Amino acid sequence: MAGSPALHREPYARTALDADAVRDAYRRWARVYDDVFGGVSAAGRNRAVAAANALPGRRVLEVGVGTGLALPRYAPEKRVVGIDLSRDMLARAQERVRTERLRNVVGLVEMDAERMAFADASFDIAVAMFTATVVPDARRLFAEMRRVVRPGGDLLFVNHFRAEKGMRWWAERTLAPLSRVLGWHPDFAITDLLDDPRAAAEITECPPFGLFTLVRVPNLAVA
Amino acid sequence: MSETTEPAAPVPGGEVDPALLEILVCPVTKGPLRYDRARGELVSEQAGLAYPIRDGIPIMLPDEARRLDG
Repeated sequence: MAGSPALHREPYARTALDADAVRDAYRRWARVYDDVFGGVSAAGRNRAVAAANALPGRRVLEVGVGTGLALPRYAPEKRVVGIDLSRDMLARAQERVRTERLRNVVGLVEMDAERMAFADASFDIAVAMFTATVVPDARRLFAEMRRVVRPGGDLLFVNHFRAEKGMRWWAERTLAPLSRVLGWHPDFAITDLLDDPRAAAEITECPPFGLFTLVRVPNLAVA
Repeated sequence: MSETTEPAAPVPGGEVDPALLEILVCPVTKGPLRYDRARGELVSEQAGLAYPIRDGIPIMLPDEARRLDG
């Protein structure tokens, strides 16, 4: 039929988001982050830490630890290391560790999650909360997490992974051009992280409204 | 005056947990690091870089590292 509506647009390329842009965004957000984002993401974060606490192994890496909102929730026996690219966020996390006397936090390190400064198999569990969508290359993040976690350990991700259709799809597509300003990729799909999402051991939609998804991936030994 | 660091003297760069130092490697070479306690730096001889520690937080970014001479 001639004159059909222009529904078949080119899927536009993901907005380039380099490390500097991420850092700048988080510098602007550091002061209001806990108030604005803390409440919204609390459910997803609580689920992820609860999942980490339930897993065997004590050595935990939190990727994108931010202001350390999740740190007080780890079980006392877990030994947690947190990394982030934002110095301002880490300073706040450090303050939290001191004031709340979180003795199970082994340390905080400023590093690039795509180029980690940890030896292979340093951890039993790696948790990335709302991080896979803000790094420039999620697959490199995933590969680094696999490297620093021992074979047989676990990788946990919480994210607002893109819904395949419906209202959220529309909203996230619409918001995508804003990612450079906001510091995340709204159009991040779960397939960016995993070649085969079915390889994930568990995929759990988190309240409210299934906005967040918790994914546990067993760190299988490379065949 | 003793030349060695007094036990109570503040450590340059701040204290870092030995358990953390044990697992840190150079992000460029993934090779070993030497902890220079006096300067508060983590030195990668292979990369020729010294990563600073500030307020107990190691800064493991090549761009922020001090280039070793020679």
